[in-house]
Amino acid sequence: MGSPGSQEEWLKQIHDAVVDMDEEKTPELCREALEAGIDAYTAIMEGLAAGMDKVGKLYEQNEYFVPELLLCSDAMYAGLEVLKPHVKVDEHATAGKIIMGVVEGDIHDIGKTLVKTMFEAAGWEIFDLGKDVKLERFAEELKNTGADVVALSALMTTSMMAMPKVIEMLREVNPKVIVLVGGAPLNEEIARQYGADGYATDAIQAVVTAERLYSKAN
Amino acid sequence: MEIMTSKERNAAILAGKPVDRVPHFPFILGFSARNVGYPIKEIYSDAARSYAAQSRTFAQYGVDWGPLYGYASYGTWEFGGEIEMPTGTYQQAPSHKRFPVDKEADFEGLTLPNVRTAGSLPIAMEFSRLQEKNRVPISVIMAGNFTLAGNLCSVGKLCRWMIKKPDLAHRLLRLATEHIVETVGHWAETFGAEQLIPQFWEPMAANLIISPRQFKTFVLPYLVETGERIERMGVRHVLHHICGDQNANMPMWAEVPMGNPGLCSFGEEIDIDRAIEVVGDKAVVIGNLDPSLLLTGKPEEISERCRENIEKGKRAPRGFMFSVGCELAPETPGYHLHLVHQALERNGRMDG
Repeated sequence: MGSPGSQEEWLKQIHDAVVDMDEEKTPELCREALEAGIDAYTAIMEGLAAGMDKVGKLYEQNEYFVPELLLCSDAMYAGLEVLKPHVKVDEHATAGKIIMGVVEGDIHDIGKTLVKTMFEAAGWEIFDLGKDVKLERFAEELKNTGADVVALSALMTTSMMAMPKVIEMLREVNPKVIVLVGGAPLNEEIARQYGADGYATDAIQAVVTAERLYSKAN
Repeated sequence: MEIMTSKERNAAILAGKPVDRVPHFPFILGFSARNVGYPIKEIYSDAARSYAAQSRTFAQYGVDWGPLYGYASYGTWEFGGEIEMPTGTYQQAPSHKRFPVDKEADFEGLTLPNVRTAGSLPIAMEFSRLQEKNRVPISVIMAGNFTLAGNLCSVGKLCRWMIKKPDLAHRLLRLATEHIVETVGHWAETFGAEQLIPQFWEPMAANLIISPRQFKTFVLPYLVETGERIERMGVRHVLHHICGDQNANMPMWAEVPMGNPGLCSFGEEIDIDRAIEVVGDKAVVIGNLDPSLLLTGKPEEISERCRENIEKGKRAPRGFMFSVGCELAPETPGYHLHLVHQALERNGRMDG
């Protein structure tokens, strides 16, 4: 197949490359799209992010699971690496700022990685602290970045126990910061007991919940 | 029926004979350490202290099965990677520090570990000798084939390779399978195959991570092969801990040879009725109260949920043992574990 002609065709091909988990083709298409005069931000939002949106739906339909999500995420990030330097920074506002990390004592970060991908696709500015993050680090990052949302992840019950302390530290920095929690041992009730504002069962729901709470607060 | 001792209860359930009440099967590792004032790390680094912590805790709370040694990150250390023992305030189990396989080239140096000396195996063997000495069920606990393969390269890498480089995924699964069979063989030679109950924990095969289609290709064949080879050694019972939401995998778990009877413990995500429907005719069903409930729940709720769980489990035709769906959090209030024992005494009688 030859190069796409219209902008719509370019964006569809980028979208499809993400959904097809093609880590080689996605950045290649992004490079060619730029050369063809497609706006970088448009390619991100209507190509890459739209692709991840479709991936999210496939996940919810139990068509795609974690292996597929990881590969789609790799493809998306490969494309972002090409496009991001060409985005006119002042032109487009981000959805919001979010800090995320796996709490101290826990090194399981696949869930957090997928959450990061979905927030990236949704246009958020992300401060990823990684895994086994010391409790005070979250509050420090909040002070430094003024983030709107902090998302905490834990897979182990013991590391989950660190969350109330983290949330307390966060509230001392900004009582109004939105705190989301997620991970296998958690549920709505535990999240409420810990003082979190929201709980999400998966990466797609994390974005939905964050956007709902962020819109309400702004 | 006369009140049985724990040893009598365990023996009866394995032999398919009546028990006086539902036995309590433990998943109580870090909690045991905290309970007796030991660092959690010693559950995994010191066989004698681990055994002592668990046996004292089990005596205190009426747990029937014997102490156990194992952890979900098994395989990383044994194949030449590094793990970190839990020493931090919020750590409850060994965790990966460096995987043996980071890229394809790392396969060249990868060989089967020495089952006498690699990683945690000497500690595990010392622990099994204590099990034998104290006449409790002798186990060797490893990650299941798929989880072990993930512990060699990281679950993220295994997931990616399953789709992009399936040959590499199968190479890891082959190594995992050969190691599991060799290790069980060594334990069987040491203690007698008929005395041994190997245990395999399979959290990475949960549907939160992989699809049932991926389970069929990358998990089931290796579980079946392993089960068949272990049965040929003369091992009579195999325990599979089917961790997490594996509802979509359940029909395939019924195909796995696991002895007669096998033993299947389930995460809280699987309804006991479904577990009984799928494997109840071939395995003792074990499970599966949500450990988060024991950590944060109200006493009345805990007692009621225990009662429900026990009433459902009692219907299992090959037998039922009560347990939590996954490891009890070390911070769980002791009183909540007492409520479990109370519920077993009150609701777990099998003779009316």
